[in-house]
Amino acid sequence: MAVVTLRNIIHSAVAMMICFGSLAGMYALLGAPIVAAAQVLIYLGAISVLILFAIMLTQAGDANLPKPFHRQLPIAAVVALAIVGMVGWAVVQTDWGLAAEAAGAAVGDIATTLFTDFALPFEIISMLILVAIIGAIYLARRPEEDERAN
Amino acid sequence: MGIEGYLIVSTLLFGLGVFGFMARRNAILMLISIELMFNAVNLSLIAFNAFLPPDANTGAVFALMIMAVAAAEVTVGLALVIAIIRTRQTPEVDQYSDLKE
Amino acid sequence: MELLIALIPALPLAGFLFAVIVGPRLDHVPVLGHGDDDHDDHDDHDDDHGADDDHHDVDDSAFRGVPTEEEQQATSPHAGHADDLANAEGAAGVIPAEYNDGIGQAGHVSPGAARPRYRSWIVPTAFVGLSWVLSMIVFAQVIFGGQEGEVTIYEWIAAGDFVIEISFLVDSLTAMLLLVVSTVGFLVHIYSIGYMDGDRGFWRFFAYLNLFMFSMLLLILGDNFLMLYVGWEAVGLCSYALIGFWYKKPSAAGAAKKAFVVNRVGDFGFGLGIMLIWVNLGTLSFREVFDRIGTLDEGTITVIALLLFAGAVGKSAQFPLHVWLPDAMEGPTPVSALIHAATMVNAGVYMVARANPIFAEAPTAMWVVAIVGTFTAIFAAAIALTQNDIKKVLAYSTVSQLAYMFMALGIGAWIAAIFHLVSHGFFKGLLFMGSGSVIHGAGGEQDMRYMGNLREKMRWTYVTMVIGSLALAGIPIFAGFFSKDEILAEAFNRGYLVFYGVGIVVAFMTAFYTFRMIFMTFWGEWRGPKAAWDHVHESAMTMVAPLMILAVPTTLIGLFLGIPPEEGIIHSWLEEVFHGAEEAHAGVLPGSILDGYHASGEAHHFELFGLGGLLLLVGASVAVAGVWLAHRWYVRQPDAPARFVQRVPLGLGPGMYRASVNKYYVDDLYQLVWARGGVLVSNALWWFDAKVIDGAVNGAGWLASTIGGGLRKVQTGRVENYGLGIAAGLAIVVLIFATAVR
Repeated sequence: MAVVTLRNIIHSAVAMMICFGSLAGMYALLGAPIVAAAQVLIYLGAISVLILFAIMLTQAGDANLPKPFHRQLPIAAVVALAIVGMVGWAVVQTDWGLAAEAAGAAVGDIATTLFTDFALPFEIISMLILVAIIGAIYLARRPEEDERAN
Repeated sequence: MGIEGYLIVSTLLFGLGVFGFMARRNAILMLISIELMFNAVNLSLIAFNAFLPPDANTGAVFALMIMAVAAAEVTVGLALVIAIIRTRQTPEVDQYSDLKE
Repeated sequence: MELLIALIPALPLAGFLFAVIVGPRLDHVPVLGHGDDDHDDHDDHDDDHGADDDHHDVDDSAFRGVPTEEEQQATSPHAGHADDLANAEGAAGVIPAEYNDGIGQAGHVSPGAARPRYRSWIVPTAFVGLSWVLSMIVFAQVIFGGQEGEVTIYEWIAAGDFVIEISFLVDSLTAMLLLVVSTVGFLVHIYSIGYMDGDRGFWRFFAYLNLFMFSMLLLILGDNFLMLYVGWEAVGLCSYALIGFWYKKPSAAGAAKKAFVVNRVGDFGFGLGIMLIWVNLGTLSFREVFDRIGTLDEGTITVIALLLFAGAVGKSAQFPLHVWLPDAMEGPTPVSALIHAATMVNAGVYMVARANPIFAEAPTAMWVVAIVGTFTAIFAAAIALTQNDIKKVLAYSTVSQLAYMFMALGIGAWIAAIFHLVSHGFFKGLLFMGSGSVIHGAGGEQDMRYMGNLREKMRWTYVTMVIGSLALAGIPIFAGFFSKDEILAEAFNRGYLVFYGVGIVVAFMTAFYTFRMIFMTFWGEWRGPKAAWDHVHESAMTMVAPLMILAVPTTLIGLFLGIPPEEGIIHSWLEEVFHGAEEAHAGVLPGSILDGYHASGEAHHFELFGLGGLLLLVGASVAVAGVWLAHRWYVRQPDAPARFVQRVPLGLGPGMYRASVNKYYVDDLYQLVWARGGVLVSNALWWFDAKVIDGAVNGAGWLASTIGGGLRKVQTGRVENYGLGIAAGLAIVVLIFATAVR
């Protein structure tokens, strides 16, 4: 909640980090420690930092915008509430028919699955990340001096 | 509390992400909201993986992949946003109206 | 003989083409005030070309209507009432500069100008003369030689089963018509040489006259309904051209339009009738149609006959389509003589006579014909009693005499009708041309109230007009007596006493108004302006000669064709044509008093000292009585008519008089219903078209653009709006899933 409502964007970013952290905890509770570790590593370690760097580089935070919210806020609220309401209602209505918390996911099991059943997606995601890195570098650079010399 | 609790949290988180995406003017905040939505989905996946165990922990594996994709996406997206903010000198999205009819 | 027949209409057609192509070059009409210029030579088809009249540009104020008294004084020798602008002349015989293009300048040309020449009459008249000679040869061969001529010229339409050829048929009926049409037509051409002298449109007149002769000949020579219809329409067109010959005069142009439109109403019915014939019988050739007509049921035949008769009503000016003929007097007098006395209006009678097999099968239609004819006869005669324009009297008289013919056709007295047609053609042509001579001699005056005592100065015209009037009135010996009396006798003998009674009354009225005209014009004192009296003169020989020529058949043809009465030579000539019709009903329609009583098909024997002679005597005495009354009222006691009007019981006199003078308000009624009504309808339709139809079309455009404008706003170019759209869509999908999938 704080993430989306705070005026200062840096505060929002920090709130986001807190959010990620709590999620990591929840994953651990749900018996998937490796996912929790991955969450901490990727989200808290990389993505949050990335966002903070972006804020810093573009000085978006210094703006302290006079109007942080759009004019369409009421409609947005309505729509979001509608979605939440309906899905939540669906969730509540469903008879999941289960017992309490079941077993978690052992690390070894996940590793096995990852490298056997899902080996191809794994490789593709590596390619994807490579592409993303190249793209990001290209997009974010400043106009080069040697371009001007050309 | 059973699975419903986790799912409701996930839903709420998702809703907040949607709201944030639509209601805030800062471009980077919109990206942050998107991350929020990703996480919500991850949470629900892991919850399902825990309570309704699929074969071979598919849920957890899928969640890992989503995280990787999200990382890639935020990378490229931030690069774009940075470029745009640099060009237009403002992070406010309602100033980006070149595609207006 | 085939070649001769084919040449008869071809010659006038050639004359027309010649007149149109070469004619303008042959004439040389001088221009007032500019002397003799040569511009007519390089000025082909536009004889109203204004360059020569640059500062004499047509003064439109003169055309807006009948000039006022003051204007008349300034430009014409007679103060008063010339409603025919066309012949207004200046006092010195100089045509005033304003009355130039498009108006006739009959007779006088400005002195001092170079001698004008009018030579465009030569070829057309010669061709028509040649055509007349051929017609007489053919006539002789058909009537006396007993042959029937047929010639096919060209296969015009060949569409599967429907074949129409341009082919001519000359039987005795056609031959009789040829006689009238060719002779009177030729004489009118000669007459026009003198009458139209000085008119700027001289060549145009002869061109139209020739075209008219061509069309009329086509009409009577054709051997199928389509040729008849083509000629029919063509004469309508030519009458439009000739009535509106002085086209810059608004009343003339209006009269021409009226003639054509009213004709067209009738032609529409005629066309429908022809179509019905074709639909039912599959052919339009006379022979075949008449052979097969018996195969249809009586209802269909009646409808066909009535539709054909509708055409005749229009063309021959019967009630209610008679309104065009009096107004047609706006045309030059030779036109009136040709079209409205001798030829075009006879087309209706010819057509009904030609289609007698059809009518014979439809007694109801014949009743209609007879009733319309009888009513029109007395209606027109009642109007003619009070008309003051000499040509209008003759016009209404024509309508009335045609009505006699239709009455005869309707009761089955076919031959009597044709006899009357022939004799009427001659004496009415004579009368019209004579009236033209009168108008010309009186300096353009047409109103009889301003004439008088013309016999002193216009002997030949007087004599011939009296001969013509005696014929029209039905005085014994002259042509009209025999033909009219034959019609009346047939009416009586076949038992149509009402028709007979009306016919007698009309005969009386005819004699009366005819001689009223004679006495007002030729006797008494000259009532026009004093200065004009000196200018009254006998007309040129080209105008008087036809009068004299026509006086001969007027006198003799009755004796020649009609004696003995009801069994004259004309009966033997025409019997063949009407044979079937005579047999069909024994000449008696169901419903007459003698229905079923009369023996079948026997010729009626005439007894001079029996019934026949008595009828002759009655007819003659009625005519003489009419003449006597006219004499008493218009020569001896000029105030008698006025006193008579006062003495009419119930004070109806003045009202009746006014009604008669105003033609019984038929024209006003038509103006109200059709003209105003037409304007209303067209306004309503315009409103509909502009508002509803255009509104729909424009509305569609407006709708499209409005919707477009609205939808355009969706494209804001802003990410947050698009995100909202996506989320909203998601919500809807979720909603659907949540509710429907349950």
